[in-house]
Amino acid sequence: MDAIEVSGLIKRYGKFEALRGVDLSVGRGEVFGLVGPNGAGKTTLIKGLVGALRPSGGEVRVTGLNPLEDRAELRRRIGYMPQGPALYDDLSARANIAFFGAAHGTEGLRKRVDEVLSFTELTGRAGDPVHTFSGGMKRRVSLACALVHRPEVIFLDEPTAAVDPQLRSRFWKTFRELAKDGTTLFISTHLMDEAVLCDRIAVLRKGGIIATDTPASIIEKGETHLVVERGESQEKETIGGHPEDLAAALRPYGLQEDVTAVDVQTDTLEAVVLSLIEKEEVG
Amino acid sequence: MRRTFIVAGRVVRQLIRNPRLLVLSVAAPLVIVYFLKIFFDTLPPTFDVARYAVPVAAFVVHFLAFLLCAIALVQERTMGTMERMFINGFRRTEIIAGYVLGFLGLATFQAVAGLAEAIWLFELDYDGETLAMLFVVVWLLAIASVMLGIFISTFARHEGQVFPFVPLIILPSVFLSGLLVDVDELPNWADWLGHVFPLFWANDVIQDLIGSGWNFDDIGSSLAVLAGYSVILLLLASRTLREVE
Repeated sequence: MDAIEVSGLIKRYGKFEALRGVDLSVGRGEVFGLVGPNGAGKTTLIKGLVGALRPSGGEVRVTGLNPLEDRAELRRRIGYMPQGPALYDDLSARANIAFFGAAHGTEGLRKRVDEVLSFTELTGRAGDPVHTFSGGMKRRVSLACALVHRPEVIFLDEPTAAVDPQLRSRFWKTFRELAKDGTTLFISTHLMDEAVLCDRIAVLRKGGIIATDTPASIIEKGETHLVVERGESQEKETIGGHPEDLAAALRPYGLQEDVTAVDVQTDTLEAVVLSLIEKEEVG
Repeated sequence: MRRTFIVAGRVVRQLIRNPRLLVLSVAAPLVIVYFLKIFFDTLPPTFDVARYAVPVAAFVVHFLAFLLCAIALVQERTMGTMERMFINGFRRTEIIAGYVLGFLGLATFQAVAGLAEAIWLFELDYDGETLAMLFVVVWLLAIASVMLGIFISTFARHEGQVFPFVPLIILPSVFLSGLLVDVDELPNWADWLGHVFPLFWANDVIQDLIGSGWNFDDIGSSLAVLAGYSVILLLLASRTLREVE
């Protein structure tokens, strides 16, 4: 059984359709990325998966459970890190984590809080009120709150938005460690250098999924360009991605003395995703 | 039930760690009652201070308990912690009951301190039984105010949206619940409207208690209505607080 199974998920707010029949499945222990521009429906989809909104149609199963009907059991199995900090500013990091941990009746709570504080490198500031923390530290407290009850599936809504590259790298090290232990991670992001780190990604546009695959396979859908420079002028042609295609494309330029530079450019994940989104918009 | 105590413990810890809120909720009623004393001192000696002192002190407790609780709960929504609580398995009844328990200590303190100060400043002379019953009334009103705050907070998306409810609910209760004028002097419809406000029933009991001689038969029904307010508002709030969008 997959960790997350979604079929035909629809969410309407009046006449506006925020999710338009989303289908996806995420395997256990997988790091799954949900990418898409702002307003694509990423947060709405995550809220549908954690049971924070009632779908207008379709079905959702997380670890085989329905988020609304099996609410009590499911909430023990999932962790959720929202986009904002969602913390009690007047309380310490430890008190915040212990509060959410206590909700689940976590065994050995005190020891477990110490563990997640250490895991998120917050031990030194554990007793300080959260309002004295930087934005990045608040994100770490928020992550610790999502981890404290040892969930099987963790939903992270843009976890590294507005954090520095060093902290982002630390977060991804943490995500990989969790996945290695069998935890499923469902991460929404609009950062492509982050999406490329996922096992698989789904591209969401205007509430519908337009592609689901590994980042490498999605990049393969992009184009390779041969750029030939003759002094000031530049010629660009699209070629196939195979080595023999490059050889064939280079052959006409081989002996021409005015060719000053030759470059092969491959579309990045960002370029491929953008082109997929543009194609959908044109189509 | 376990989660109710977890929420209550967290609410109390937050109150203790927030000096501004604590000063506002503890010092403000005392200062306002003192201002009331200064104001009443300017009135002619024939003015019946006893008629107004305790009811106005009760109103101050009512107003502050309502406002503080409503704002604290709306902050939960704007900060995203309300949603996080639901996703972490807290049920709405547990959250509401936790808030009531958490604010109970504060409401009790406000009731005791506000009442004690009014009796001391205005040199009111009541026997022990009357004092105890006055405390019970102000305390029940404070609980109803906390419940009213919780109920109203379910209609506000941010703190600013709490304030329109002050002129809508709190101010009319000043004029229509017998605090300033005897409700018998009001038009019939206004008298009936006054019955909607918890302050009306609290004032009704207080007037009986501070009048000449009282017994439980006189105040029993009004006390029951006051207590009933909390139960009804608890039920209403647990229906209007939304767990799922």
